[in-house]
Parts: sequence; structure tokens; C-alpha cells
Amino acid sequence: MATRVLSRQEMKIDCEDDVLLVRRRVQMLAQQRGFDPFATAALTTATSELTRNVWIHAGRGQAVVEEIAEGGRCGIRVQFRDEGPGIADIERALRGGYSTAGSLGLGLSGSRRLVDHLNIESAPGRGTVVTILKWARLR
Amino acid sequence: MVERQYMARLNMDDNELRRRLSAFEITEEDLQRLASLRPLAERHMDGIIDDFYKLLLSHEEMRVHFPDEATVRHVKRMQREYFLGLFSGKVDLRYVEDRLRAGAAHERIGVAPKLYLAAYSRYLRLILDRVMQDVTDVAQACQVYASIQKLVHFDMALALDTYLAASIDTITRHQAAIRELSTPVIRVYERILLMPIIGTVDSQRAQQIMETVLVRVVEEQARVVILDIAGVSLVDSQVADHLLETTAAVRLLGAQTILTGISAQVARTIVRLGVEIANMHTCSRLADGIELALRMVGKRIAPEMQQRSE
Repeated sequence: MATRVLSRQEMKIDCEDDVLLVRRRVQMLAQQRGFDPFATAALTTATSELTRNVWIHAGRGQAVVEEIAEGGRCGIRVQFRDEGPGIADIERALRGGYSTAGSLGLGLSGSRRLVDHLNIESAPGRGTVVTILKWARLR
Repeated sequence: MVERQYMARLNMDDNELRRRLSAFEITEEDLQRLASLRPLAERHMDGIIDDFYKLLLSHEEMRVHFPDEATVRHVKRMQREYFLGLFSGKVDLRYVEDRLRAGAAHERIGVAPKLYLAAYSRYLRLILDRVMQDVTDVAQACQVYASIQKLVHFDMALALDTYLAASIDTITRHQAAIRELSTPVIRVYERILLMPIIGTVDSQRAQQIMETVLVRVVEEQARVVILDIAGVSLVDSQVADHLLETTAAVRLLGAQTILTGISAQVARTIVRLGVEIANMHTCSRLADGIELALRMVGKRIAPEMQQRSE
């Protein structure tokens, strides 16, 4: 099915305040697109986790926030890109409870449960690209 | 110095300078053309600058920035340096630093950007008049004017960047002020403390919350601390992590925490994230949290005894 991109914004991530700015943007779009409060909270929280991952693990990177439409439904897609150390064991990172930064280690695993799709491309030393997508639930 | 800060803030190095020059399409040819105009510039400098300040002083809002003759003399001297700089044929890091200093000075004394740009527009017009007078060949005059215009716009961009950087500084200072205001601890009852957490919990704020709570628990010999998160915009794993850490630290001091103000969305999100909060007392409403806290210190809220008249 053809996917149309309705809007696209690139945002830089290089300080903790950017975590707030990126997730505010996503939250605003979700509310405008008619996401219900649960879906909005889920998407915003996943965005917060993944933006912070970029900041903590790579120091800097980007978030690309897109509104997309596909066959009569619309969704929000966010791509987080960095050129940091990358993830050696994606499987383990996705199982959760494992952290190289002394945190709870729930960023990736938790985010996956909060959105409809989560995709990771990463290799050690090659940076990381995480893409998430959440559809507005039909009401 | 201030300009050095701005140089760093704008990531100003040879590469950035090159990128800026290319954005404004300023070429070596432009710079040479300007350098060759130096005699013309020197001839007209005083006339242009006198006219320029006459224009500025005729405008009410601009006039306030020139309170006395000494100020006018001073700015005219600065303006001569600025003006000749345009025809130096060189735009290097020193040039940029000079322009940033000028921008920062205007920002500091409170010249609004609209007036700054309006003054530039007048300035350009006065220069154009002189160029048209002296350069009779129209095509050549246009080229000359285009070069001047590019460089003046390049300068304006630098000035605006100092304005923006200064505003960001102000915002940062305000954020720090808000942070200080935003960790109140309320003594609800003997040995019961309440901390309403409002807004965003970043790592700095989380640390402040933890420290404030621990200090007050010791001071008040508190047994229970209620952390109310109804006003927290988002609870992600980092916020949860901070709450768990605070709970653990409070426990070491012999007190307990109760987490209140949990919305349905937050409850759902926390569970989905996989955060384990089994060892925290939690209540949806603050009122329930206060009742629970009172029970923990051996008190309870009871209805007033009704006096019956027989």
C-alpha cells in the first residue's frame, strides 16, 4: 500500500533539553491527528526513551518526525539517527533489563511495546537508526 | 570576552566562515571590488555618516539611544571604523569578531532588532546614493552596489545571531530560576511530607528532588513522604528510575514513600514500559495517599462525632 508523507521535520539532538523538544513536537502532532490519550502517552513516552538513548549513548544525533497516511489511516513515524557506538547485541537490548548506561535498560524494549512498529539498524561502531511508527486508532 | 563566547556559540571557525560567505554568494571578486572602492568610500565617509545619524536622530525610538553629544561622537567614530571595514577587501575571523562585537553592543544597550535593521536599510540607501553619483556606468554601479549589499547582509546576519544567542541565554537563566522554585516540600502533618512534582523531570531536576526530599526527611524526622506526580508531563523509564531511587534512599533514612497522582495513561504506559514498581506504595489520588500516610503514622481521619439531642 502506498504511504504518503504529509509532513516531515528534522530535529537535532545534542542536549537533554532536546529530549523535551522532540517529544513535545510528537505529542502535539499526535493530539492534532486525533490520537487518543493512551496512544498519545505511549508514542510520546517511546519518543522520550529513544531521544534520550541518542543523547546518552551517542551524544548527538537527529530525530526525523513524519506524519504519514496509508489507506485511509494516519500515523506518526519517528526516526532516531546517531553515529554513536552502535548496539552489539540487538536481541539482548530488545529483551530489556540490560543497560550499558546504568539505567533501568528499558528504553528499547519498553518502546517496542508502546508502538506499532519498531525497527533497529545498528552495528558496533556504525551508529544506530531506530524507527518507530504508531497509527491513530480508528474510533 | 563576550565576542569570543559568541564566536564559540556560532561554531565560528574557518569552515563556518566559508559556509557563510558562500551562503551570501560573497566571492573574492566582490571583496576586491570593494577594496578598489576604498578611495570613494573615504571621500564620502563623513557625509554618509553625518546623514546617517541625522536620519537616526530624527526618529523618536532611535533617538533615545543617543542621549548626549558625547555618545553621538563616540558612535560616529565606531561607525567610521565599521564603514571602512566594508571596503577592506578582507573578511576573516577578525572581521567576524568585530561584527559580533558590534551586534552584541547593540543588543546590550537594548536596540530592538527592528530598529537595527531599519538603520541598516537607511545606511544602504545613503551608500547607494553616493555610488550612483560617482559611478556613472549603470552596469558597474549595479555590480558595486550588489557587492556592498551582500556584505552588509552578511553583517546583519551576524548581528541577528548575537541577538538570538542573547535570548537563549535569557531563557536558560529563566529555566534555572524555575528549577529553583519548583521543588517545594510541604509538611502535611507531623512526620508526613508532601512533594508535588510538576512539569518536566530531567536529570538535574531529579537530583534536586532527591536531595531536597532527603534533607527534609532528616530535618523533620519524617516517616512518610508523599510524591505527587499528577503534574508531571510524562513518566518514562528515566523518571520512574528516579522515583525508585528516591524511594530507596528515603527507606535508608527509615521513612517510606507513597506515590500519588497517577493517571490512567501513566499507569498503562509504565506497565508497558516494563517498570517494576511493586515495592512502592501507590495511590491514584492524593487524598488516598494522605489517608494512607496518616495510617502509617498511627492516625486516621474520622467523621466528627455527632451530638444528638434527645
